[in-house]
Amino acid sequence: MFLLETLIKTALVIAGLMTAAAYLVLLERWMAAWIQDRLGPNRVGIPLTRIRLFGLGQPLADGVKFFFKEEFTPSHVDKLLYFLGPAVMFTAAVAIFAVVPFGSVLPSEFGLEGMSRPIELVVAPGVDVAVLYVFAAGSIAVYGALLSGWASNNKYSMYGGLRGAAQLISYELPLGLGLVGVVLASGSLRLDVIIAQQAQSGAWNVALQPLGFLVFFVAGFAESGRLPFDLPETEQELVGGYHTEYSGVKLLLILVSEFLHMIVASFLIVILFFGGWHLWGVTGSGQEVTWPIALARVVVLLGKVLLTILFFMLARWSWPRFRFDQLMALAWKVILPLGMVNLVVLVVWVEYGAKMAAALGISNIAAMAAFGWGVFAASAAVVVWLVPGEPDNRPRRGPAWQLGPTDEEETPQ
Amino acid sequence: MIGSIEVVSIATVAGAIALGLLVPSPRHGARARALGVVAGAASLGLFGSQLPGWGGWLAGGVVSVVSVVTLVAAVGTISSRNPIHAALWFGLVLLGTAGLFLVAGAQFLAVATVSVYAGAILVTFLFVLMLAQPEGRAPYDRASTEPLVASAAGAVMVGILSVALGSALSGPAVEAMAARGAAARAEAIDGGSPLVHFGRELFGRHLIAVEVAGVLLFVALVGAVAIAAHVRERGGNLEVADREPQMNTDEHR
Repeated sequence: MFLLETLIKTALVIAGLMTAAAYLVLLERWMAAWIQDRLGPNRVGIPLTRIRLFGLGQPLADGVKFFFKEEFTPSHVDKLLYFLGPAVMFTAAVAIFAVVPFGSVLPSEFGLEGMSRPIELVVAPGVDVAVLYVFAAGSIAVYGALLSGWASNNKYSMYGGLRGAAQLISYELPLGLGLVGVVLASGSLRLDVIIAQQAQSGAWNVALQPLGFLVFFVAGFAESGRLPFDLPETEQELVGGYHTEYSGVKLLLILVSEFLHMIVASFLIVILFFGGWHLWGVTGSGQEVTWPIALARVVVLLGKVLLTILFFMLARWSWPRFRFDQLMALAWKVILPLGMVNLVVLVVWVEYGAKMAAALGISNIAAMAAFGWGVFAASAAVVVWLVPGEPDNRPRRGPAWQLGPTDEEETPQ
Repeated sequence: MIGSIEVVSIATVAGAIALGLLVPSPRHGARARALGVVAGAASLGLFGSQLPGWGGWLAGGVVSVVSVVTLVAAVGTISSRNPIHAALWFGLVLLGTAGLFLVAGAQFLAVATVSVYAGAILVTFLFVLMLAQPEGRAPYDRASTEPLVASAAGAVMVGILSVALGSALSGPAVEAMAARGAAARAEAIDGGSPLVHFGRELFGRHLIAVEVAGVLLFVALVGAVAIAAHVRERGGNLEVADREPQMNTDEHR
């Protein structure tokens, strides 16, 4: 019974993800068209008829096109790794969803023989280290970019792969720091417990830890490699980055995995900071559910995820791309210190916060929110004070350069 | 648990022969390597025949498959000539080890192995290797230094460890535990929450070790910064140190 349940959930998640990825591509093209004041894909409808259906047949046509295109393998590639790259990337991207809940629970009166407990809507329920598992699987995804970049035996691909690896490793640190705040506050690494706590208190983490949210959000954006951070692919400089040499199904796998990374980032943002399936007055907050509430929770969670994805797509057409040194400076000089501040502040809060709130005579939640926003405002002020409003992008020439030759140049030339 | 010392010894010797034939060496041709593969397979099979059951065909199957993958990948790590392939084989070893941890109920160790070793350290290795673009043609890539001594030493260690652990871990209590499956084992060891148990152990009984390791890492960090600062000091300026020598020579031409 357990095996059957897991198999059904796995099939559901994979089928749902593939469909979602296909239609999100369509949504992204519609968004692009809307922002750029064009029509976008609106022709393809039901095959072999003249019915258009607003272009809803486009993903199907795209998929068929990908499968029937010539699958060209350049002669200069490292064959094994060239095949392995997209496979590793796709496997890692899908494997993350084993611990990501897509709802709360289904009620126990499911109508099946021998099924007495509620069904949790996650492929692997009760994983103690779910958050860390997401990290581990995400760090395997680095290999996809690195391998396909290197195996392609092409300078542009190589640059893309190295940039991808450097970017992902750099932003994993602030991502972890933003996450640790939530884990400290909730005392658990389980995603379902983190949601349940936000639902119990009714206050989402974004209201309590704005600084942690900011750090996690920026890092999550960078991890998914979307436009302000899409340095690994940059069409204008690297052709296509690490997937320059790929075509056909292998290219499809790479593109789908990139979409999956965006989806998983949205899921994590919603689950960790926006209360997961919780919405005041609609979904309730307990573990006991009826059918309407169970369905409402799924709808609320997926709706929030869709909104986050829409923001990702909006951001794509709203911000120009970073330069690579700016990207690294942002990670190491701004976001990482902010994450450190967030961590230290939360440690202090977890240790003394409850006592402080009791001494002041206000509720714990209100005190934490006030504390969190105070720290946020203070760090924002410090960042504004330290970071110049008008960035000087000229190449730097230090004083030593103007002062003349140093000791080493005095040797005969 | 280990059945007979004779079989284990034969398996160990076969494994040593396999390793000796498989490591890169200019004297070994394709036939030697094929022989090595056969000997390695025989060694694996002999070891496998001596292992106890793991409670249920599913858990047992997973353990055997993951173990075989891990061992084969480990042999691949030391026997491939291309450094990048070796690094990737090592990544597979780490994944396999994580899988074995997971089956044994150590969830935290499993994910930590993957995210720390495979996700950070090995990626850094790969980064450097890919920038250096080695093609596996250098003499030190094509021949291992002491294949005979290395495989003999490895065989002695594996043999002693298997016999010692095998006799230490046998007995009705251990076998009953093994038969109950991973979930029941985890429940019995740490009350169903491995993570809480792990945290208590780490920051309770082993607190000093954790602190010492932390201080050591911190010292290493300070040392790295000191070395970097020293190098930059000679360049004269922190901001331009990286490109300065090149810029200056350009200027003086």
